[in-house]
Amino acid sequence: MEAGSAFQRYLDGALETLGIEADETERMVMAGVWELYRPGLEALRDADLDEVEPELHANLSQAPPR
Amino acid sequence: MSALDLPLREQAAQIDTGELDPGELLDSCLARIEERNPDLNAVVATFPDESRRMLAEAPKGPLYGVPVLIKDEWPLPWRAETVGAASVPGVHLEPGESGPYRTLRDAGAVIAGVANMHELGSSSTGNASVYGPTHNPWNLERCPGGSSSGPAAAVAGGLVAGAVGADGLGSIRYPAAYCGLTGIKPTFGRSAMEGHHIPNTVTIVSGPLCRDAADCRLLASVLFGEELRSGEAGALRIGVVRDPYWVDCTEPVREACETALEALRGAVGGEVIEVELPDQELIVPAAVLIAQSEEAGRLTPANLNALSPELGVINRGVLKLRGIVPGTLTARAFAARTRIRRGLAELFDQVDTLAWPTIPGVAPPLLEPNMELPSGTTSSDAACARQGVLANLTGIPGISVPVGLDDGLPIGLQLLGPWGSDARLLDAAEALERATDREFVELRPAALA
Repeated sequence: MEAGSAFQRYLDGALETLGIEADETERMVMAGVWELYRPGLEALRDADLDEVEPELHANLSQAPPR
Repeated sequence: MSALDLPLREQAAQIDTGELDPGELLDSCLARIEERNPDLNAVVATFPDESRRMLAEAPKGPLYGVPVLIKDEWPLPWRAETVGAASVPGVHLEPGESGPYRTLRDAGAVIAGVANMHELGSSSTGNASVYGPTHNPWNLERCPGGSSSGPAAAVAGGLVAGAVGADGLGSIRYPAAYCGLTGIKPTFGRSAMEGHHIPNTVTIVSGPLCRDAADCRLLASVLFGEELRSGEAGALRIGVVRDPYWVDCTEPVREACETALEALRGAVGGEVIEVELPDQELIVPAAVLIAQSEEAGRLTPANLNALSPELGVINRGVLKLRGIVPGTLTARAFAARTRIRRGLAELFDQVDTLAWPTIPGVAPPLLEPNMELPSGTTSSDAACARQGVLANLTGIPGISVPVGLDDGLPIGLQLLGPWGSDARLLDAAEALERATDREFVELRPAALA
């Protein structure tokens, strides 16, 4: 989740671990997109969501049951 | 004026009374595509024999004999969709009877061609596709919006009066706004979606792009399989969330939307209420992560390593990034969605609709799709996503209505309503059109005037 070189290490490790090949340009795109969305992803990581009761069988066509 | 320039509903009405010959209308539609499409690249396939066969076999439905286009996101019995890409990872696309095709056919419509789209539906710009970029009829050097780039450019360019698009993270509303059209993202699950290459989607819906709300109502009714009856909008409690949805827009966009909103309020009564969204900072990441998770099962290392070199480098990078996103983040996105949906349901006890600019700036250049906003220079994709993805995350409907011009390029105001309020949103959009004397829905790109 960290920016810069930490993300680069995560990226390199994840790609290698999963066996996904990526050239330099693709890696630059990945880093750029991650950086663009990083603040939101960090907010999601840090949000207190522990008490959220699951919406079972969520029906997106309707308001959630209350 | 050509009959092609009539509204969709007027074409249908004139065919019904015998004033207009549907065969001649189809011929003039195909001729216009041939004439104008080289500049727009809005249409990627025509099939005159199949179109004429549809007309010959068409039932006398609400769109009998009316030519329309369908986005390259659904199969037709004679053509597999391409999703604007050389290939879709892990998916074998085949011809077939998709839901939107079936509903159009059963309504008597004639599919005159397939409309271009942004590659894999992955951008709000429309500047990349295996068929090449689509061009905005208002300025050919500008983005038409995406991912329903072709449907929007085709309707704005006068090739047809209505087209079917799809909206997964704003993909109908952004191009509607960029091209000066009305486009509705229906409540999730109400419009036909069978045959889509992501059958498990919880974010994508089919929907219409037309010149005004009445045409959208007609085409949406066909896609819904039920009539969306018109009514009076009535006094509206209009919720506005100032920051960032209004604050971080260009001044012309903010002023045009403020003027339109005040006109709407003045016309129907009611009030404008400042409100806050639940978990506002989580909306974009949650929507993006949930949308990307719908295809994630196919993003195996084998499929990712076999991506077509013809696929754009941005999509190759994004797809591979999706392959390594931590699963805990996606799980948290679903938890955030739950809380946001519950908070939104409570908010809709206080207001009838939410309103903010569909797009924070007008259509950016095709070659450099950035926006200059008060917060700084930003990619138009990120700027648009902020304005648009709430509807996809939560399932609520949203509509974009043209409300102004800046530097000759259209501006759109977005109205969002509670689940199932599609007809009421269309009522509000029509009230807004009347309140502005239909000034902006009647505007046409200068090159076509």
